[in-house]
Amino acid sequence: MISVTDLTRKFGAKAALSGVSFSVGAKEIYAYLGPNGAGKTTTIRILTSLTRRDGGMVRLNSFDIEKNPLEAKSQFGLVPQQTNLDSDLSVEENLLIHGLLHHMDRKTIRRKIEELLDYMELSDRRQSLIKTLSGGLKRRLLISRALLHSPRILFMDEPTVGLDPAIRRSIWGFIKKIRNDGATIFLTTHYIEEAEFLADHVAFLDAGKIVAEDSPANLVSGIGQWAVDYLDDNRLQTAFFNSREKAGSYVLNRANGCTVRRVNLEDAFIAMTGRKIS
Amino acid sequence: MNGWYPIFLREMLLFKRKLFKLGYLFSAMVVPVIYLITFGLGVGRSMPIEGTDYITFLIPGLVAMSSMTNSYTWVASALNLNRLYFKTFQVLVQAPINPFAIMIGEVLAGMTKGLFASILIITVGLLVAPQFHLSWLPALTLILNCFLFACLGVIVGMITKSHEDTSTYNNFLIMPMSFFSGTFFPVSRMPEFLQKLIAIFPLTHTNILIRKSAMDSQGLLALAVLIAYAIVFFFFGSRLIRKYSE
Repeated sequence: MISVTDLTRKFGAKAALSGVSFSVGAKEIYAYLGPNGAGKTTTIRILTSLTRRDGGMVRLNSFDIEKNPLEAKSQFGLVPQQTNLDSDLSVEENLLIHGLLHHMDRKTIRRKIEELLDYMELSDRRQSLIKTLSGGLKRRLLISRALLHSPRILFMDEPTVGLDPAIRRSIWGFIKKIRNDGATIFLTTHYIEEAEFLADHVAFLDAGKIVAEDSPANLVSGIGQWAVDYLDDNRLQTAFFNSREKAGSYVLNRANGCTVRRVNLEDAFIAMTGRKIS
Repeated sequence: MNGWYPIFLREMLLFKRKLFKLGYLFSAMVVPVIYLITFGLGVGRSMPIEGTDYITFLIPGLVAMSSMTNSYTWVASALNLNRLYFKTFQVLVQAPINPFAIMIGEVLAGMTKGLFASILIITVGLLVAPQFHLSWLPALTLILNCFLFACLGVIVGMITKSHEDTSTYNNFLIMPMSFFSGTFFPVSRMPEFLQKLIAIFPLTHTNILIRKSAMDSQGLLALAVLIAYAIVFFFFGSRLIRKYSE
């Protein structure tokens, strides 16, 4: 379980986080959604002890990250936004070093490497140097590394950024599988469909503040079920409706170029902040 | 505190890969060997110094210099790149290990690389100067020198804001030490006011100690200075790791 209370962090005069509070329950997928610069990565860096907070409290499975840093660090695995594997070491060597850093014995490490490479469909690449792997394989390896020491919490910072849609979907499948196996997952993303597909709860982060937090269905329900995008004076506008019929009759009354679609989290975000996520 | 081992192991695995590349051995040896040929076999061939032939005087100095540059450069450069570009240092900060363990792992790896380069130069030295020999005191000095410069490497690797910055430290710290600290000629030949300045450099004390076959009062003072530097550098480096925040 993750518990964050009144988290603040400034970089110079700029407030990156202002009084952020949330909690994530066991076996939950919690998506932290916001545009670039909203404070998503700063939050995950504080939660994973890479950046010091200015104020507030963070507990990971009841361990305070400053009072019990080693215990708190042993609770989580992290899939960073940037690949930070040792490119001149092999897949197996990277995992071995990670296991030793987490105080695992070599026998357990070998067993877990076997299991995880099989789970992530990487078994045939165990001796490959990292620099020879594709972006998608590296990302799967980052997930394997994060899971090696069987953490109860998994932080994923933009886990599918820069990947093509097919690989992104396969990684979504792995994330669901990991949650079903018992992990609590906190992920940051600016992909709407990622949050909608994966998350049990979503927090909207804008300019360092959480502006809304709920299930994806509840977040969008406030503005309607259907959206019509249309051009008005060469600007894209969106109208929201509770039924498809009402959206259809609205389209009939307008000129060509309208699109009817389901309301999504981006619509809810814009309605609350006046800004786009991506 | 056993968290140092995976850090050391990681560096050794990377070192092993580099070792089998010709470029590594060449780069570890080329500078001292050029100095050895230029100053030892060329300029100083018929120039006795401190009661011995020049090449026998020069080789311990080159060993000290080589141990300094290799221990320092490998750690400073790797740590800087791992922190700023590859982001692999962050993996260590986020692992459940003590900051002292990170420091110990990095320093032991730097020492190993420094000692390896030193052994290469010692081997060359034994071939070209049969009078040259290494007793326990120079060997101990060499280990201490590798330790303190690996610690300095951690400090520089942690405080530099870009990889280019590390060359600034090389130019203002390592390069003057290499030439003025008694590697190529005794410090006593320098003007008196410069001797006082040079006495601040840790390599000056390494060069004093590495050329001694038995301990005396001058050697004890040099040893005390080196130990003091080693302690200060170790704790300062550890503190930088402990306080690390992005």
